[in-house]
Amino acid sequence: MNPHHHLDPSTVVSYAAGALATEVAIVAATHLETCAHCRGRIEEAERIGGQLVEQQQASAAVGRLADLRASMLHRLDEPTPPAAVPAPRAAPYEDDDRLPTPLHPYFGASYRDLKWRWMAPGVHCIRAAGTKTGTLLMLKIGPGRSMPVHGHGGTELTQILRGAYHDALGHFAPGDVADLDSDVEHQPVTVPGAACICVSALDAPLRFPGWLARKLQPLFKL
Amino acid sequence: MHPNGVDLRREAIENRSGTWHTMATDFTRRPSPPQAASPVAVPTSAPRDAHDWTGDMLAVARARDRASFMRIYDHFMPRLCLYLRGLGSPDAVAEELAQEALLRLWHRAAQYDPQHGAVSTWLFRIGRNLHIDRVRCEQGWVQVLDEAIPTNDEELARPFSAAEDYAEHTRLQRRIQDLPVIQARLMRMSYFEAKTHQEIADELQMPLGTVKSHLRRAFLRLQGQVRDQP
Repeated sequence: MNPHHHLDPSTVVSYAAGALATEVAIVAATHLETCAHCRGRIEEAERIGGQLVEQQQASAAVGRLADLRASMLHRLDEPTPPAAVPAPRAAPYEDDDRLPTPLHPYFGASYRDLKWRWMAPGVHCIRAAGTKTGTLLMLKIGPGRSMPVHGHGGTELTQILRGAYHDALGHFAPGDVADLDSDVEHQPVTVPGAACICVSALDAPLRFPGWLARKLQPLFKL
Repeated sequence: MHPNGVDLRREAIENRSGTWHTMATDFTRRPSPPQAASPVAVPTSAPRDAHDWTGDMLAVARARDRASFMRIYDHFMPRLCLYLRGLGSPDAVAEELAQEALLRLWHRAAQYDPQHGAVSTWLFRIGRNLHIDRVRCEQGWVQVLDEAIPTNDEELARPFSAAEDYAEHTRLQRRIQDLPVIQARLMRMSYFEAKTHQEIADELQMPLGTVKSHLRRAFLRLQGQVRDQP
C-alpha cells in the first residue's frame, strides 16, 4: 500500500504535539499505520517538540530540584523494570478481515464482526462509543453512490479502508487520508464494484446545504 | 531579521527572569489582535548552541555512567517540568512525570540509537506520552500514539552520521528562532498548551483555515522547505 493522499502538515504538528482531538488522532494513527511518508514527518515534528522543550529558558526552582535530584540518584539503583513486550505488530491489511490496530478499542478487530446500522439508502454506519468530544464514525457506502454535498464546520479527517471514492479533490483509495479544511465542500462518489469503507473523525457537525440535505441531516444524526 | 527583532530583544532582556513559556501563557490571557507584535514570539536572548548529548547518552547506554546521566538530568529536568506544567499538570504531577521520563531514559538507554533522533526528541516523546496517559485517560490513546510510530523502522532510518545530525539540530534551532511571530505563537500553543486547531481559532478569533495554514507554513519552514518573508 502506497498512499497518495497524506496528512496535512498542520495535522502532523498537532499529532506530534499531542494536541489533536482524540477522534482525529485515532484516524491519523490509522493512516500512520500504513504510511511511511507521514511517519517520517511525525518524527520531524517530534524533533521540533524536543527542540522547543530544550530551548525553554528553565528557571531553577533550586530547593525543590535538589530534593528531586537526590531522589533520582537513589532510584538509579532500582532494578531495571522488565521491558514491556511489544504486542506483535501484524502487518495491517495482511489479514483481510483485520481492522487497523488503532481502531480496535473502538470498533473491535474484525470487519466481519462489525454491527452496521442503516443510515440512508446505500449508507451504513457505526458510531464509536467512548469518545468524549467529537464524532468517530465508520461508514460503509455502497458502490457507485454519491453522498450529499457537504461542508464541515470544523475538521474532517477520513481514512479509506476499503473500496474507493472520488471527488473534486481526487481519487481516494485504501491507505489514503482526506484531511479537509473547514472551507472545503465536497461530494464524494464511490467507485463501482465494491462498497467503500472509511473511518471519519469530525470535531464539529457536518453541514449539508439545501432543503433536501436539511431533511437528511436529522436522519444522518451527525 | 524580523521587523520586530529589536523590540523583541528589549522585551526579552526586561523579561529575563520570566521564561519563554510563562511569557506565552501570560500573553494568551490577554486578548489582542493576532497580528500585534508579541513579546512571546521568538526566544530572542539566543539560547546557547544546542549541546550535543550523544556522547553522554552513549556513556549511559554502554557503561551505565551516572555522571553522564546526571548531566542530562540536570539539563532536562527543569525543562521537562516546565513543559509538563504548561500542559496543565499541577507542580507535583509535573515533577513526578518528569522524574519518570528521565528514569525511563536511564533504564532504556541501551535502546538509544544516536542516528535516530536527539535525546531531546526521546524525552519529549516520553514526556508527552506520560502526560496524555495521565491526563486524558482515554481508552487506547497512548497505545495508538506509540504503536503507530515504529522506532526502528528501516525505511525511516536516516542516513545521517551523528555529526550531520547535530548540524541539522543546530539548523533547526536557528529556524525556530527565526519563525515569524504568529507562526511561533501557534506552534507554542500546539506544543506547550496542547490546544487543538479549533481551540486556537476560538481563542485568537481566527478562522480555522488560517490557524491550519500558519501551522502548515511553520512546519514546512522549520523543515527548510519554504522561506516566506516574516
